[in-house]
Amino acid sequence: MSKAAELAALIGSQTALSNRNLIINGAMAVAQRGTSGTSTADIYTVDRFALGHGSPVNAMTFEQSTDTPDNFKNSLKITAGTGASASTTGYAILRQAIEGQNMAHLGFGTSAAKAIILSFHVKSSLTGTFGISIRNQAGNRAYAGTYVINSANTWEYKTVAIPGDTSGTWPTDTGIGFNIFWDLGAGSNYDIAAGSWTSGSNMFGVESTVKLTETTNATFFITGVQLEVGEQATPFEHRSFADELARCQRYFQVVGNSAYFAGNGVGSASIAVGIPIATPMRAEPSVPDTGYKAHREGNTNSGTNCVTAVTYATIGSSNLQLRVDFGSGITDEQGYNLNFTTADLQLNSEL
Amino acid sequence: MDEMNITSAKYMAHPKTGENDAIKATIDGMGYTVPLAVGNSHYDEIMRRVAAGTLTIADAD
Repeated sequence: MSKAAELAALIGSQTALSNRNLIINGAMAVAQRGTSGTSTADIYTVDRFALGHGSPVNAMTFEQSTDTPDNFKNSLKITAGTGASASTTGYAILRQAIEGQNMAHLGFGTSAAKAIILSFHVKSSLTGTFGISIRNQAGNRAYAGTYVINSANTWEYKTVAIPGDTSGTWPTDTGIGFNIFWDLGAGSNYDIAAGSWTSGSNMFGVESTVKLTETTNATFFITGVQLEVGEQATPFEHRSFADELARCQRYFQVVGNSAYFAGNGVGSASIAVGIPIATPMRAEPSVPDTGYKAHREGNTNSGTNCVTAVTYATIGSSNLQLRVDFGSGITDEQGYNLNFTTADLQLNSEL
Repeated sequence: MDEMNITSAKYMAHPKTGENDAIKATIDGMGYTVPLAVGNSHYDEIMRRVAAGTLTIADAD
């Protein structure tokens, strides 16, 4: 049997030919929030990938990069700040949360739990053994694995096999099923040994691995992230940009700031406006309440007709209703138009 | 680590009914209007901390 036939047989016996990648935006192509930034306790970089750090680890910077291996357009580049040991409770991690109902078929927590395998392309200024981990929502079941970067500043392809977990509680609803972490600098309190499922708490680091954030300005690039059923990694499943964007918009989407939206007066001070959304969201979203201006018809971006805050109201499957409080000057049940300026309206339904 | 840094929370009331319909919260340094909806990660975390006694939601104006 040819190698191609062997691979086809293997794929067919273990996993689906399409929609097999549990990771969303694994090619780092979608960046609705922007293409660069600085880490906080937990901040989103490109869509679906969150970067976090805690003292004494210093902040990292990130960007959507065009430095990639062959056949990719983008990667995520992370640059360490001033090098510092994480000590016991510091941390630096990159993570993606997987929605529970997207991993129900893994059978985790049952005797039918399936093995999964993580694959990705990585490039770093550092070499050595690095760590990843997977952890359930409750944070009491985790598995750590390792991969080795052999050459500095060179793209390498890595795989990490993860056996199915027959124990623990793994939600299969619209909440977090599990998080997958790349350990960039976890403190010793969070480290576990690689190679077996562990019960405990606060587990996401990996013992005896390279901690990127200990080295000033160390770099870490990653792309082509795929997590799939089976013991053999398959080539990265390139999905269309539109498909990937729609998947991301289930968790986060923006409404362009130049459009006008029809609304209705609510009481003497507020307007409720209906806003179409691109994709039904995972849960009712939070809305950043500042950073842009909203003004009603027939006026400018200043004075009593303009505000910088919104009050969330309700969301349906295909539209959002926002309430904007102007303080006064509104006629109940009268029609109004509303325009957001300065910045896009962000709808956040992340896990 | 995937914990939120929630530094303030205050109910917002509907202008006509007077009933609470959202929470204004500062999360990871950013102001959010958070729906009263189980499943929203911000709301779930706020209520978890309220239950644990580590966060209080101020009354609406």
